[in-house]
Amino acid sequence: MLDRKLTPALQPIEQISFVRPTCLDLANQTQLYWRNGIQNETSKIELHFCAGTTATQPIIASLCAGLLISGTPTKSALQIQKALDALGAYYDVSLSQSEVIVSIYALKDQLVGAYRVFHESLFNACFPAKELQDLITERKQKFLVQKEKVNFLAQRQFQKSLFAHSTFANQLQLEDFDHVDFQTILDFHQKSYLNGLIETFVIGDLSKADIENLMVLLSQFGKANPTNTDFNWNPEQGAIHIELPKALQSAIRIGRPLFNKTHPDFCDFSILNTILGDYFGSRLMSNIREDKGYTYGIGSYLVEHPDFGYFVIGTEVGVDTRLATFEEIQKEFIRLKTELVPTEELELVKNYMLGQLLKSADGPYAMLDLYANVMNYGLELDFYDQLIHSIRQITPLRIQELAKRYLNWEEMLIISAG
Amino acid sequence: MIHYDSFTLKNGLRVIFHKEPSSPMAVVNVLYDVGARDEEAQRTGFAHLFEHLMFGGSVHIPDFDAPLQAAGGQSNAFTSNDITNYYDVLPAQNLDTALWLESDRMLSLAFTDKSLEVQRQVVIEEFKQRYLNQPYGDTWLHLRPLVYKKHPYQWATIGKNIKQIKEASMADVRAFFKRYYHPANAILCIVGNFELETIKQKVADYFEDIPAQIKHERNLPIEPAQKKFRSKTLERKVPASAFYYAFRMGKRHEPAYYQADLWSDYLGNEKTSPLYIELKKKKKLVSEITAYITASLDDGLFVISGKLLDGISIEQLESVLWPLLQKTIERKIPKSSLHELKLKLQTSKAFQDQGLLSRAMNLSYFELLGSAQLINEEAAHYNEVSPESLQHFAAKTLVKSNCSRLLINPKKDA
Repeated sequence: MLDRKLTPALQPIEQISFVRPTCLDLANQTQLYWRNGIQNETSKIELHFCAGTTATQPIIASLCAGLLISGTPTKSALQIQKALDALGAYYDVSLSQSEVIVSIYALKDQLVGAYRVFHESLFNACFPAKELQDLITERKQKFLVQKEKVNFLAQRQFQKSLFAHSTFANQLQLEDFDHVDFQTILDFHQKSYLNGLIETFVIGDLSKADIENLMVLLSQFGKANPTNTDFNWNPEQGAIHIELPKALQSAIRIGRPLFNKTHPDFCDFSILNTILGDYFGSRLMSNIREDKGYTYGIGSYLVEHPDFGYFVIGTEVGVDTRLATFEEIQKEFIRLKTELVPTEELELVKNYMLGQLLKSADGPYAMLDLYANVMNYGLELDFYDQLIHSIRQITPLRIQELAKRYLNWEEMLIISAG
Repeated sequence: MIHYDSFTLKNGLRVIFHKEPSSPMAVVNVLYDVGARDEEAQRTGFAHLFEHLMFGGSVHIPDFDAPLQAAGGQSNAFTSNDITNYYDVLPAQNLDTALWLESDRMLSLAFTDKSLEVQRQVVIEEFKQRYLNQPYGDTWLHLRPLVYKKHPYQWATIGKNIKQIKEASMADVRAFFKRYYHPANAILCIVGNFELETIKQKVADYFEDIPAQIKHERNLPIEPAQKKFRSKTLERKVPASAFYYAFRMGKRHEPAYYQADLWSDYLGNEKTSPLYIELKKKKKLVSEITAYITASLDDGLFVISGKLLDGISIEQLESVLWPLLQKTIERKIPKSSLHELKLKLQTSKAFQDQGLLSRAMNLSYFELLGSAQLINEEAAHYNEVSPESLQHFAAKTLVKSNCSRLLINPKKDA
């Protein structure tokens, strides 16, 4: 007879295997990382370009990324899109501060064909005036919609204050849409795409001939110049509230400059961060959602960039509980600094983190993402072995020490909108 | 082909097992055959509020999440107008933890006043965050009652308003649990690297002693066919006019569903679609436009939505939109275009099927539709769609008298 009060015995996670992709060197000194042996029909190619929003004016980076397959002297945007459709392929572009990632998804027999469509469009891109104008109109309207969201406003102010006095503080403004210089887009395309390839990832059971074809095509790019690494923090501090009289909720961002995974405290801090706000049972969720009911969700994150990292807490709460939420977050900082984390809670977090790591290494697609995630920081897959080591070894005392060092309310930037 | 085994316990619980030898993870998915359509008109938002309460501890276990997290796992759930779906993803060696947790909350909840009070508040904040404090956030709160006059699809899963959520009582919670949360009203799906015999044994250990109950017979009002064009206009603090054309269509399990899915892809899902080319690129009336379907178990909706460009009126849009819809109906879709649509669909399904969780959810959902086997028959259903059947679907569906239009205009004084 089953005793339902008895927790089933847990089996520990003994080992997580991390698999390196094959690394192929191209004639232009960039690398193609290839993962095969996936045993299904899917495939993907992902190109990383040094064409993020900090590489130029944000409006130029955004429009250029949106127009990569919008027309050549001989093909219209529609013809290019139809060529991709005919292969059943999907095309996606994502833009961040540091880079642009172009992804093409297709069944493996169609991937090289689909890539060829993109490649020819990119190399012959002429940025037709009417496509540019259409995109400006569309993006301007989307921007106006974004500006109605408390979340967007808080995030924007947070970034502006956090990155004060650096190029990272440059943000898209409404008036930028009315002053777009065509030549700047052309120059940026030349410099940051045709001569801005950082690396390429391919996943799928492609033939040797397919890979060789891709290597030839990818070698036509110029390699990106190494990024500027002399970033210095000079953030604003204290509280800024953007008052919106009719808002029902306030969006909150609380954070500070920190570090990325190249820092010796990174692994241990990520355990502290999990306890504080990075899982459903975290202290912030347990207190501010599950005990007080102030919010639908609250979390804390370590955001990383190849040159730096920062810590941020984000949530949306009822307007009348904004100040109470600040107080509760402060209390959670103080608790972590003055009381040792109970063994049971720490054990739970350790198991949880190992389980999540196991999951994020599950399957070739996830594994390649994990690899990219360390490679961009000049690290190797053994980083994850170090992380596992940290998770297994960390003590309540060490967590307290890190909380004392990094979780000081007076060092936080406190932004709210609503 | 997705291979699976299925069996039913004596108490009526349907179980599906799909073996996945290559993953170290396991998924336990529990679908309950209850959604917002099963709510009373005076107690809307209840199925979803109830989903939150399912994480507030069960009869023998004070906290649902902690043991799962201690096992290296994670859990979540969603509620739709049709179903409530719970899932746990955890290292395969700790499968027992998920079965223990799911079986205990199927047996009985803890029903604490504190949990109800807090989750009411959390759901009210969710209501604000997703529906009230977002530009265009309340669209579906207005579009649903415009289209549905009798059927409970007239309210959104979050509920009609905050007031009804505030009024939810413990007596309501108990009654709802008793009616919908029992083995015969659930489908359990397990995915992972296990043997069938092991799964049978474990499922029997944890679920077999949960008392059987008779499945509540659903008897929902049928929405009468729409005869006349309907329209409603709202003014909100938004930068641009948004339009939503909702056309009545059939049920998820009918053959026309596949026609609707492909036709919405064709009409407005891509930069090569007629709506995009004509309304955005050629006539410059809209900044964005798209078409999609709601895929619901009872009569669903085919929706065309987008935003007008500055200075364009809805009349200007419609002077082009209606003739365009008529034209796409009259001219059969070229065979080559249909082939491309099917190829794209094949690509996206191949990617979707890679995920363990996606497979577990789909197997459960298809079992609810009639049989998990449908997961392997989908491709054939899409292949059967012909230019003629698409034309027939569109001619029947995309007509003005079958349509409800919601407009959200910028507030003039704002």
